[in-house]
Amino acid sequence: MTSSTITTIPAKITTLSELQDYLHLAMQLEHATIPPYLTALYSIKPGTNADAVHVLRVVAVEEMLHLTLAANLLNAVGGTPDLTREGFVPTYPAYLPDGEDDFQVHIAGFSPSALETFLKIERPRSGPGRLVYRSYAPDASVLGAHPGGGGAHFYSIGEFYAAIEDGIKTLEEEAQAQGKTIFTGDHARQVTSEYYYSGGGKLFPVTDLSSACKAINLIMEQGEGIEAEIYDNENELAHYYRFDQLLKGRYYQKGDKPGNPTGPELSVDWDACYKVKEDVKLADMPVGTELYVAAQAFNETYAKFLRMLNRAFNGEPETLFGAVPRMFEFRNLMTELIRNPLPGSNGLYAAPTYEIAGVARNDAPTAAPAAVGAVKEVVA
Amino acid sequence: MITEQNLVTDENRLERFLAFSAEVTAFTVFELQGTGQAEAYLKTIGDVVGAALLDEILTVHGKQMSTTGDEGRPARNAYLRREIFGSEKLGPIARNIVKLWYSGVWYELPTAWTENYGPAPKDVTFVVSPASYVEGLLWTAIGAHPAGAKAPGYGSWAAAPRIPRFAGDPAHLPAAADEEPARLPA
Repeated sequence: MTSSTITTIPAKITTLSELQDYLHLAMQLEHATIPPYLTALYSIKPGTNADAVHVLRVVAVEEMLHLTLAANLLNAVGGTPDLTREGFVPTYPAYLPDGEDDFQVHIAGFSPSALETFLKIERPRSGPGRLVYRSYAPDASVLGAHPGGGGAHFYSIGEFYAAIEDGIKTLEEEAQAQGKTIFTGDHARQVTSEYYYSGGGKLFPVTDLSSACKAINLIMEQGEGIEAEIYDNENELAHYYRFDQLLKGRYYQKGDKPGNPTGPELSVDWDACYKVKEDVKLADMPVGTELYVAAQAFNETYAKFLRMLNRAFNGEPETLFGAVPRMFEFRNLMTELIRNPLPGSNGLYAAPTYEIAGVARNDAPTAAPAAVGAVKEVVA
Repeated sequence: MITEQNLVTDENRLERFLAFSAEVTAFTVFELQGTGQAEAYLKTIGDVVGAALLDEILTVHGKQMSTTGDEGRPARNAYLRREIFGSEKLGPIARNIVKLWYSGVWYELPTAWTENYGPAPKDVTFVVSPASYVEGLLWTAIGAHPAGAKAPGYGSWAAAPRIPRFAGDPAHLPAAADEEPARLPA
C-alpha cells in the first residue's frame, strides 16, 4: 500500500509443495469473493433490480464452482484442502491486486462503488506474469499473494492462475520424464457434477494434465474472458462483462466488442438497496441485542458450514448434499441481518460480519438434516 | 391514561408497532425487521383504517409495558386479551395485524366492525405485495417455505420440517429447570 515496485521476473512454480500452496491460495481467493457478492445481492430490495439480481447470483454461484474446481486441482496433485485454517476467511476489507494499485474488497451493499470493485475483481489481465512488491499492515488479508511471502503479489488474478497452469505443466513434464506423474491424488477425493448444480459451467474431476488445464481455463474464462473475447467457450458471458452491463445499462450480445454492448437496455435502481454499513463488525453492534446474537450466530453457522465443506473436499463429497440446504439457509439469515437497522449508524443497516477466526474446532460428524435443523435453533 | 412516555408519535410509531407486533406474533423484533415488511404493513393499516386507530392500539399496549419478562407474560396476555383483542373496535384490527405478519394479506374486516366504525372504502382483502407473501411468518412457523420462493435447495425435502420454538409454547414449556432458553427473550 505504502510503497510498491514492479519486477518483470515471472513467478515460477518449481516444486510440488509450491504448487499446492498456490492452489490453497486459489481456494482462498475464490471463496473470498463470495461474501461480498452475496452481501450485495441480498442488499437489493425484493421485487427490484431484476437484472442486477440475476447477474450477481450467476457470478456468486460460479465462484462456488471455481472454489470446488480449485479443491479438485489441489486434491489431484496430492494436496489436502483446509478451509478451516486460520485466515482462510479474510478479514474484510481485504486486498486484491489490480495492476499497480491495490484495491480493497468490502462487505457492503450493492452500490456504484461496489460494482466498480466487482469489475476490478474480474478485470482481464493486461500483461505478462509479473509480481508486485508492496508492504501491508501486519493484520491485512492480501489475496492473490505470492506464497513465498515477502510482500509480493500478482499483477492480476488471471496472472495468478497463469502461473499455476505454467507450474502444473512444468512439474508434470519433469515428472513424466522420470516415468512419474504429479497427479497422484485419490480419485475418490474429487467432487463431481452430481454434487453441484444450478450454474454455468460444469464440475468435473481433475485427474491428469488435460483436465487440470481445462479446470484452470474454465475459471479464467468465466471470470475475465479469453483474450479479447467476451464470451467463453460455452458461449457464456464472462463475469467482467456481466458486471459491465450493469455499468453501461445495456446487455451484451453475440458479436459485441468489449466495452460496447449493443443488446437490450437495462436499468439499475440504486435507491432500492439497503444501505449496509461497510465492513460492519460485531463490535459495531450493541452487545446482547437480538442483532448482535444473530450476527454472532451467523458467524458460528458459517464456520460450521466451512467445516462441512472441508469434509466434502477431503474425501466425503456426499457431505455437499447436506451443505447445500445450509447455503440456502444463509440466504435467509443474511437477508434478515441486512434488513435490520444498525443502531447508532445514522440509518445504515447491518450485515453478516464474516469474522471467522478459528474454524478448526473439531465437530463430531453430524448427519446433514439434523445439522441443518440445528442452525435455525441457534439463530432463532 | 395517556402519559407523555406513552404517546405515539410519528417518530416512535414504527418502534411501537414493532414492539406490539413482536408481542402478538411471538416473533422477535429482529425477525420482524428481517422480513423487510414493517413499513409496508404500517402504511397498509394507515391507508385502510387510519393511523389514529393503530395509535389507539399502540397506546393501550404501551400502558402494559411495566410488566416485562416471562413472569409478566400471563398478566400481559390477559391484559391484551381484555383491552385489545376483546374490544369490539380494536380487536378486529389487532387480529388483522397478526394476519398481516403471518400471511402478508390484509383481510377484509367483519361487517359488524365496518357498520360501527366505518366506512373504510379500502377495506377489501388484498395481498400487500409480492414480497409480503414471501415474507409471511407462517412459512417459518410451520417449518416450510413459500411456494415459488425461498427454495431450500435440492434434497432438503428429505429433512423433517423445523418448527421453531416459541416462548410460552405449551409443547416446549420447560419441565422443572429452565435449561433451554425460550425462543423469545421477552
